[in-house]
Amino acid sequence: MASSSLLISLASCLLFLAVSPALASNSEGEALCAFKSRLSDPNNVLQSWDQSLVNPCTWFHVTCDSQNRVIRLDLGNSNITGTLGPELGRLQHLQYLELYRNSFMGKIPEELGNLKNLVSMDLYENQLEGEIPKSLSKLKSLRFMRLNNNKLTGSIPRELVTLSNLKVLDFSNNDLCGTIPVDGPFSTFPPESFENNKRLNGPELLGLASYDFGC
Amino acid sequence: MDRTEKHFSNALLLPLHLILSSVCTCTCTLLLLLTLTCTATTHADTDALLLTFKSALNNPNSNVTLSDWSTSTSVCTWHGVTCPENEERVTSLNLSSSGLTGIISPIIGDLLSLEILDLSSNSLSGPIPRELGMLTNLKVLLLYSNSLSGLIPPELGHLQNLYTLRIGDNMLYGEIPPTLGNCTSLETLGLAYCRLNGTIPPQLGNLRQLKLLTLQNNSLSGPIPDQLAQCTRIQVISLNDNMLEGEIPSFIGEFSALKTLNLANNYLKGEIPADIGNVRSLNHLYLFGNRLTGNIPYELNQLSQLQILDASSNNLSGPMNISPDHLISLEFLVISSNFLQGEIPKDFCSRNSSLRNLFLAGNQLTGTINGLLSCTSLQSLDLSNNSLTGSIPHAIDQLTELVNLALHNNSLTGPIPHQIGNLTNLEILSLYHNHLTDSIPVEIGKLKRLALLFLYENQMSGTIPEELTNCTSLQEVDFFGNHFSGTIPDQIGNLKNLIVLQLRENDLSGPIPPSLGYCNSLQQLALADNSLTGSLPDTFGFLTELNLITLYNNSLAGDLPRSLLGLKNLSIINFSHNKFSGTVEPLTGSDLLTVFDLTNNSFSGQIPLELFKSRNLTRIRLGHNQLTGPIPSQVGLLHQLVSLDLSDNDLTGEMPLSLSNCKGLTHLLLNGNRLSGYIPSWVFRDLVSLGELDLSSNNFSGDIPKEIGNCSALIKLSLYNNKLTGPIPVEIRKLTLLNVLNLQKNKLSGPVPPEIQQCKKLYELRLSENLLTGPIPSELSSLTELQVILDLSYNDLSGQIPDTLGNLLKLERLNLSFNQLQGALPDSLVRLTSLHRLNLSSNLLQGEIPLALSSFPQNSFSGNNLCGVPMGPCSDPPVSKGKHLSKAEVEGIIVAIVLVSAIVCVALMYIMARIWSNWREVSVSTSDCEESNSKRWVGNGDKIQASKYRKLGPTSTRVGSSEEKHSWGSDTSVLRMKNDAAC
Repeated sequence: MASSSLLISLASCLLFLAVSPALASNSEGEALCAFKSRLSDPNNVLQSWDQSLVNPCTWFHVTCDSQNRVIRLDLGNSNITGTLGPELGRLQHLQYLELYRNSFMGKIPEELGNLKNLVSMDLYENQLEGEIPKSLSKLKSLRFMRLNNNKLTGSIPRELVTLSNLKVLDFSNNDLCGTIPVDGPFSTFPPESFENNKRLNGPELLGLASYDFGC
Repeated sequence: MDRTEKHFSNALLLPLHLILSSVCTCTCTLLLLLTLTCTATTHADTDALLLTFKSALNNPNSNVTLSDWSTSTSVCTWHGVTCPENEERVTSLNLSSSGLTGIISPIIGDLLSLEILDLSSNSLSGPIPRELGMLTNLKVLLLYSNSLSGLIPPELGHLQNLYTLRIGDNMLYGEIPPTLGNCTSLETLGLAYCRLNGTIPPQLGNLRQLKLLTLQNNSLSGPIPDQLAQCTRIQVISLNDNMLEGEIPSFIGEFSALKTLNLANNYLKGEIPADIGNVRSLNHLYLFGNRLTGNIPYELNQLSQLQILDASSNNLSGPMNISPDHLISLEFLVISSNFLQGEIPKDFCSRNSSLRNLFLAGNQLTGTINGLLSCTSLQSLDLSNNSLTGSIPHAIDQLTELVNLALHNNSLTGPIPHQIGNLTNLEILSLYHNHLTDSIPVEIGKLKRLALLFLYENQMSGTIPEELTNCTSLQEVDFFGNHFSGTIPDQIGNLKNLIVLQLRENDLSGPIPPSLGYCNSLQQLALADNSLTGSLPDTFGFLTELNLITLYNNSLAGDLPRSLLGLKNLSIINFSHNKFSGTVEPLTGSDLLTVFDLTNNSFSGQIPLELFKSRNLTRIRLGHNQLTGPIPSQVGLLHQLVSLDLSDNDLTGEMPLSLSNCKGLTHLLLNGNRLSGYIPSWVFRDLVSLGELDLSSNNFSGDIPKEIGNCSALIKLSLYNNKLTGPIPVEIRKLTLLNVLNLQKNKLSGPVPPEIQQCKKLYELRLSENLLTGPIPSELSSLTELQVILDLSYNDLSGQIPDTLGNLLKLERLNLSFNQLQGALPDSLVRLTSLHRLNLSSNLLQGEIPLALSSFPQNSFSGNNLCGVPMGPCSDPPVSKGKHLSKAEVEGIIVAIVLVSAIVCVALMYIMARIWSNWREVSVSTSDCEESNSKRWVGNGDKIQASKYRKLGPTSTRVGSSEEKHSWGSDTSVLRMKNDAAC
């Protein structure tokens, strides 16, 4: 009777609702919206992120190049809480990921390794934890990598020595362990880049100890 | 009574397609029309009593039904009144659906002979009179579907003879009175669709005759009481849409007559009791919308009478246990939105399966869909939002009855089989977001009933087959995000029912076929992100229903046809990034426009005033065209305007004052025109929501208004390349959210205001090519997020480069060239490790270039008095001394090198040993280890740079005179030599 009518209408709604999103929008905008959905934004800095727009290029804190591809994400110092998600890896053309001085928690998603145009990864002064993903060694354009003042653990992935463009690196004030690589760009980073990691045991001595010694 | 029952069971067996009717109508269809017999009443005053009842109603005399209620006739002849034959005793009063309003008079309680009272489906209000409890002869009481309010009177519990009580669909509130448990004759208890709260009274368990219990759509809470186990004759239990908690009681398994169990939309948890499998009489089982966990009990497969099973939207897990192979009556199986895992079993259905609807969407099912090919009665199949793999089987055409097929959001691969064309009943085909490849089979043209075809976000390719235009029932087509190439089918105009056509992000080329204009039901047309060429066909003027048209990122060209003026329903237009030319006027026929984006075309002429008829416009984007004339003052009528982009056109005149009405503007881009006059102060006073303001490359003159401080939401501000004069207002300090500030290429004078240090979020600051004077304020060092550039070049800045500039650790470009800066380069500059472009040329700087900056090219430093690498050598004594080392000195140094190398090697070995024996105690951060650490680095690594960064970082502040600097520089080079020797 009444109840069965309810059910059938519900079930048929399910089918149609699930099918309804015609006119899908652009992938970078979708990725940013997916990112936004993870965040708590008490200062409303993401208010202008309107997914109904053709692309995210008129959103504040998002910068596009002349071909309407997202190249900067500037959310530093914005009182944001939340996690980083795999969707950020879909911003294929991103050059600057500026998320410093917020309350981002959880792990650095390994999908960030897909940002092959990334020049600057500024995640410093958050509450990120877990390991530094090996996949970041795919960021061949990376020049600046500042992950300091988080709660990162584990060893420094050896794969990062292949980042030949890396000019500035700061892993200080985390909880990293093992030894510090000495090859590639790591030969140029000052000790300050690694200080205040209680379990980090100095530069590696090639062949003498495994790099994650003491982890 | 028998008849009543029959009505109910008929209702339960209603065919599915009829059950879509609304709740109220459904309740009404169950209306009991009782045959009653008439007898004479024994009470002489019955008529007076009924007239009192009548007078409690609103407008009693205007009610047609009650028009014959008067003392002139016998009460037994009155409408709705029934007396037993030859008696004057009223036993039944039936005024159902009589349009009654007003209240039920308590006098009704004096009609003691009454056995049946039916006032259902009226608009009666007020409470249920508790006097009804005096009618101890009452057998049937029907008050449902009114507007009665208040509590259910506990006195109803006195009605020992009552077998039907239906008072639902009212506004009754409060708890169900436990006294109802005294009505031990009750067979039907209907209290649904009220506002009842509290728990289900355990006393209802006393109702041993109960067959039908409907309490749905209330606010009942607490558990289902155990005492209900005693109602062993129950046939229908409807407790859905309440707030019931606890588990589903397993005693339900003992209800051998139960046909319908509806517990949907409560807060029930725990597992589905396996005992339900014992209720062989069960037809309908609804458990959806609870918090049930665990596996679906395999015992449910014993329910051979079961027609509908809906357990969707729970937290059920485990494999798909239900087998239509056993459930031979099952027509409707819904377990969507759970956590079911595993594969769909092989030969899911038996040969004679009656399963018509299968909904397993939103689970975690894996494997292929091949097992379902045995379900030949299927009409609707929804497996969307799972993790299914494999291809769509060729034998899909075994499902000849299929009407709705939803397989979207899975990982299906391969092509759409051409056999799909045999599913001639198909109306919905939704395959989006899979990994489907190849082209659309031409056989799709056989699907004459197909209304909805969603293939978006796959990897399909090939041309869109002309045969698709045979599917004349099509209403929505979405091929977004594939690789379809070739042209849009010429005969697309055959699709007269088409409402949505989405072909965005494909590789379509060629012109838009004129026949598309004959799809005159079309409301949304999206052809963006393709390679379409040619001009817009004239026929588009026929698309009068169109509200959205997006053509951006194609190569469409030519003037717009005048016929577009007929498109009066257009709301969203995006033609950006094409090659359209001529006037934009044909697009202004509608006054419903909200978004108007023609960016980057070759449109010319003036901005048409007709555009401003659309008062709900939120976005106007006309940038990168060749528009001329002024910004029309009518723009001020658009109070909803959020974004106005008229950049890079050829607009002239001043900013219209009316623009100050557009108070919601967040983006105002007027750059790259020939606008002139002052920058009005109202821009900053009234447009306080502005986040981006770009007035660059115009002819604006005068001062920057002090009101600029009001626009505290500004994130990007560019006034670049105008003729602005006067100072940079100190009020700039209030723009604390500013990321980008560009005042380059004006005639601004006065100092760089130190207050700019408050703009802490600046990552780009350009003040170059002005007439700024005075020193570079040391406060700039607070702008620690400066990253893209700090450009102060081409001004008249004087004094020294402040030492604090070295705090700008993220700065990548620094340009201080063409000023009057003097003195030495501050040592702190070596801390700018992010810097990769530096220009200090053409100043009055002197002294030595710090070694850390020596990797920059000569033109970074030229036009000064600077020396050292990369410029010429300094003439300081230490350098000349170094040039003239005596032979003895050289030998001494070599000996020293050898000695030191040996010591270093020994020290290294010692340190290794120490580290090896005591790893955890060696710390990088302790300063006493620094020396040895850095030596190791140089030894392992290649090189010069190593020593440079290492040495220059922390120690630089200690270095005072240039002499010390130099000796220290040579020290590093010695160190380098030493290590080369050692290795």
